[in-house]
Amino acid sequence: MNKAAPLTKLILTLAVSVWSLLLHTVSGLTILVFGQLALIVMAKAFGKTYKALAALTVFAAVLAGLQYLLGSGLELSLVTGLRMISMTEVFLLLLATTRMQDLTAALVSQCRVPYEYAFMFTAALRFVPDFIAESRSVQEAQACRGYSAKGSIFRRMTSYLAIVEPLVLRAVSRSETMAMSLALRGFGGASRSFTANVALGSRDYAMFAAMAAVTAGLVIVR
Amino acid sequence: MLELRNVTFGYKQKQPVLKNVSLSIGAGEFIAIAGRNGSGKTTVTRLLTALKKPNSGTVLLNGEDAAANTPADMARHIGYVFQNPDRQIFRDTVAHETAFGPEQLGFTPKEIEDAVTRALELTGLSDVAESYPPTLSRGQKQRLTIASALAMQPKMLILDEPTSGQDCCERQRLLELLTQLNSQGVAIILVTHDMEILARYPQRVVVMAEGEKVFEGTPRQLFSSSHPIAEWSLSYPTAVAIGQELFPDGSETVMSVDDLCQLLECELGGDR
Repeated sequence: MNKAAPLTKLILTLAVSVWSLLLHTVSGLTILVFGQLALIVMAKAFGKTYKALAALTVFAAVLAGLQYLLGSGLELSLVTGLRMISMTEVFLLLLATTRMQDLTAALVSQCRVPYEYAFMFTAALRFVPDFIAESRSVQEAQACRGYSAKGSIFRRMTSYLAIVEPLVLRAVSRSETMAMSLALRGFGGASRSFTANVALGSRDYAMFAAMAAVTAGLVIVR
Repeated sequence: MLELRNVTFGYKQKQPVLKNVSLSIGAGEFIAIAGRNGSGKTTVTRLLTALKKPNSGTVLLNGEDAAANTPADMARHIGYVFQNPDRQIFRDTVAHETAFGPEQLGFTPKEIEDAVTRALELTGLSDVAESYPPTLSRGQKQRLTIASALAMQPKMLILDEPTSGQDCCERQRLLELLTQLNSQGVAIILVTHDMEILARYPQRVVVMAEGEKVFEGTPRQLFSSSHPIAEWSLSYPTAVAIGQELFPDGSETVMSVDDLCQLLECELGGDR
C-alpha cells in the first residue's frame, strides 16, 4: 500500500465504501474488514492505527448492540456494525499510508480539486493531533485551577465549557497566525509546484483493474 | 529597497495606531525596531509585508509603489518569522515544512531541493531534516521557521521577537545565524525588547512610541544621548549602565561587555 499512488488509495477508499454498501452478509463484510486489516499490517501502519481501530470496534459494537436491543435481528445488527467498521477503516488505511502533501498533490493535479480546498482538507487532518494536545494542555491548566469534570452528565457538560471556550479562542488565534504565515510563504500566488511524485505506475493500473473487477462482480452477484 | 513613506494606519479611521511614519530599509542592513507593547512595531512589519494596507501614505518596494502587491507577492522579497514557531509549522517533516514556500512560488523540484538543502545547512537543521517538527526544541523550531523563510531566497528577513522563550545557547546561536545571514547580504529587521541585542547587533535602531517613530539612529546614539529611554519602555543594557557609572562625563560609551573589558584594561594600564 505504501508504494501505491495517492490517487489509487483515494479510489480504493471510494471502492471499499461502495463494496461495504453492496455487501449485505456478515461473512462478506468480515472478509472486507479483515482484508483491510491485513493491508494495514502489511503497510506497517498497525502501530499508528491500533488505538483508532480499537475505538472504532467499540463504537461499532455499541451501535450493533443498540440496534439489536431495539428489535433488529442479530444478522442485521452485525452487518450494520461491520459496515461501519469497514467504511471507516479504509480512511485510517488511507491516512496512515499517505503523506498529506502527496494527498494534496493528487487532489489538485489529478482530481482537479482547487488547491485551496485540497489544502484546507489536508491541513484540517494534520491539525487533529495538535488540537487534541492543546485540549489536554487546557484541561491540565484548568485542573490546576480547580476544574473537575466529576458529577452528573449535565454538570459535566456545563463544566466542559471551561475547556471548550479557551480551546476555541486558541484555535482561532492559531488559525489567524497560520493564515498570515501561509500568505507570507506565497500561499495564494499564481504559480505553484509540487515535489510529490503522484504519477501512476503499472502497480496502480493493476489495482484499478482489480477494484473494477471486484465492484462488477459484487454488482452482478447482488 | 523597501520604504514606508508618510504612512498612517489604523484599524478604525479615527484611531490611528501608526501616525505619519517614514522608514527606509536598504539592502543588507541590520535594523532593530523597539518600543513598548502596542507602540506599533508589529504593525510596521505587517505593512512592510502587505499583510495590512496603509490608510494613507505609500509603501515602496525597489522604488515602486507596492500598494497592489499581495503578501504572496511580497514573499518573493521578504521572509517573515513570527514570534511563536508552533503556530507556523504544519507539515510532517522539517524538510517538507521548509519546501512549502518554494513550492508556492513555483520553483522547480530541483530548485526546491537545492533551496531546502541550503536553508537547512545554514540553520544547522540538516541532521533533523526528516524529523517530525513538534518533536524539536523551541530553538530548533524557531530556526525551522527561519529556514522556511530562507528557502524562498528573500533579500530581507523580518523577525518578530525571535529570541523569546529561548535558552541562552539557542539565543546565541540564533543571533550568530542572523549575523551570518546579514554578512551574506540579507537585510535583517528585528523586532525586539532585548536591550543587549539592541545595543550589540543592529546597525540602526528605530524606536516606536504611541504609533510614532520617536528615534532613528545607531545603538550608540540611542544609549549615549539624553533620550527618554525609560519613557519609551526601554532600559540601558547592563554593560552600558556600568559604562555610564564609570564614565559619567560621557567621555567613553560602552555598548557591550567586550567594550567594557577593553576599556577597563586600558584604564588599569596593562594586560589581563
